[in-house]
Amino acid sequence: MSGKVKEYFVQGNDACVEAALVAGLKFFAGYPITPSTEIAEGLAARLPKAGGVFLQMEDEIACISAVIGASWGGVKSMTATSGPGFSLMQEAIGYAAMSETPVVIVNVMRGGPSTGQPTRASQGDVMQTKYGSHGDYQVIAFAPASVQEMFDLTVQTFNYAEKYRVPAFVLSDAEIGHMRGLLRVPGNVKIVNRKERGVVRDDEAYTVSDDVVRPFPVFGRGHKTMITGMTHYREKPRIEPEDTKVHSDLVHRLNEKVTNNRKDINKWEVVNEGAKTMIVSYGSSSLGPMEIASKEPNVGLLRLKSVWPFPEEPVQDVAGKCERILVCEMNMGQLYWAIKRAALEAGCRKIEFMSKLGGDPPTPAEVRARLKEMGAI
Amino acid sequence: MNCFYRAFNELDLDLQKTAFIGGIGCSSRIPLYINSDAMHTTHGRALAFATGLRLARPDLRIVVFTGDGDLGAIGGNHFINGCRRNVDMTVICINNNIYGMTGGQASITTPHDFLSTTTPQGNKEYPFDLAEIAVAAGANYVARWTTRHVHELTKSMKTALQKKGFRMVEVVSQCPTNFGRRNKMADPTQMLDWFKESSVRRDKARAEEIDHVDLNLAGQITIGEFCNRDRACFEDLIGVGKHGE
Amino acid sequence: MKPVIDLRYCKGCNICVYICPKKCYTKGADLSQMGYFAAVVSSPEKCYNHNREGRLICELCVLSCPEQAISWHPETEEEKRK
Repeated sequence: MSGKVKEYFVQGNDACVEAALVAGLKFFAGYPITPSTEIAEGLAARLPKAGGVFLQMEDEIACISAVIGASWGGVKSMTATSGPGFSLMQEAIGYAAMSETPVVIVNVMRGGPSTGQPTRASQGDVMQTKYGSHGDYQVIAFAPASVQEMFDLTVQTFNYAEKYRVPAFVLSDAEIGHMRGLLRVPGNVKIVNRKERGVVRDDEAYTVSDDVVRPFPVFGRGHKTMITGMTHYREKPRIEPEDTKVHSDLVHRLNEKVTNNRKDINKWEVVNEGAKTMIVSYGSSSLGPMEIASKEPNVGLLRLKSVWPFPEEPVQDVAGKCERILVCEMNMGQLYWAIKRAALEAGCRKIEFMSKLGGDPPTPAEVRARLKEMGAI
Repeated sequence: MNCFYRAFNELDLDLQKTAFIGGIGCSSRIPLYINSDAMHTTHGRALAFATGLRLARPDLRIVVFTGDGDLGAIGGNHFINGCRRNVDMTVICINNNIYGMTGGQASITTPHDFLSTTTPQGNKEYPFDLAEIAVAAGANYVARWTTRHVHELTKSMKTALQKKGFRMVEVVSQCPTNFGRRNKMADPTQMLDWFKESSVRRDKARAEEIDHVDLNLAGQITIGEFCNRDRACFEDLIGVGKHGE
Repeated sequence: MKPVIDLRYCKGCNICVYICPKKCYTKGADLSQMGYFAAVVSSPEKCYNHNREGRLICELCVLSCPEQAISWHPETEEEKRK
């Protein structure tokens, strides 16, 4: 099997299913919601045959809760949803962050707010991915821009969830989820499995120090694991909601284990490095800019493949070398503000925003027109 | 808790192969006091967490400790679907007819006309009968006892622990601090008296006489084993590994 | 076997006094070290489990105590004769 590449012509959602199975998914709990339903349906058919369990739950809150419970049994677990379901899941996402449970959540974003446009794309949940639940926590989120990336980045999402014991997200959208394209599945895909308490293995997860990510105490192995959403000690199995230092240390650790490892986690692509005008975009929004950047020598593209933790370094690197930046998002400005702040700090003076609402990604013609207005071409 | 430990020990079950899950509330903290794997989850969702853990690890026995509000109010949807789906787990619902942890607000099992911090003029709503809901929703074993009936309760827990599928034991329990005190039963023994006087065996209660959904000072708490059946449990239906008792 | 109250845990709720069918317990008149009027095992010889080993007949007190303060202890020869 190793070395052979298999080729398929599939939807983005199907590529996600394939990636999850290759990554070792063993538990999926889902609820039907456009445009993510194909992921649930694909896994309903294939996961039991792969030795896993598929469950359609009564609501999205049950889905995310079941997925967290399953993860504590020591198995890789995932759920897939879209905007309205994603909003329901927020409390439990905070619980996964607080209890350091590795779980994967696929959000195939659609037009919002509320019921919005079930069959059209948007990037309106990007801020919610990081700030949706109450309190301070960090997550890892990848933004695929093609069918192939739906596969590659879903595998990455699993790997990083396992490595850093966080809830990790695949931020897809209705366009990427439903577009059809070529998927090439290599025979050897790098898989990372969580560091388990009491087990020593040759795995990338073990390269992270125990101070940063504690070994995962799987249920039923005699560890007498105690999991809670309340503030807790790391050394003793006890709740300590009243101790200010314990709480402060805990929240710092939960956040810093991700932000301190940005360089390991963040992934991006630069086209036309050093161009005078750089477009910064991700996911579907980057498709139009990609066309422009491949044709115009004075226009480049920083395509973010991961959006959380916020990729400070690549943004500042690009901003320091260009004259102006255009941020393209299918929302009213979510990642834009952080990008602008980072770019200003790096010395770039002109940062503009192109907002595309309505469900279609920005077309090359629209991007070109905007760049002309800016005087970039 | 005492009855549960007694039942567990008499059956000689393995704590190491048992996971305890609770939601939020006084009752839901019990898993944290047990020397075994435990999960203290979000309010109302313990059954969903339990479903995930159980299906990922059919070798583990799952026991859920929850309360009336946690199970029947915010957790209502997971409660009825859990009974319907019949995943293997033992659910002990400690019904103290109040939201005690947060200071004594009315719950979905607070009897009609009773006082609480959110029903200072008397509870205008009528309570749920959690055990009857479980029967109607399809649970394999449902029983209700009060803390005045410790021997019967222990025996019921033993039966529950040995069955397959979704088993529920509702324990009507005293909360003298937040419920009793506001309703002229500040002493725990007064509450136990109330339990003794109001309880009537379900099989002996005739339907037209006892309106068990209207639980008030004049009403009755039906107790006993409400149902004991062997609907196929979900693990068997999907063919997931062999599971513990 | 005889019931023994662990004074580290007894909070004087008197459920044992109330529930015992043989009236083996009485309400305490003295403050325990924990600051409660702990209950007292005043007549252990009346207990159903007096002079009984192995399987116990009645455990209402042990099972009803909310603090798990009561446990069964073997009786001395002298206590058995009461």
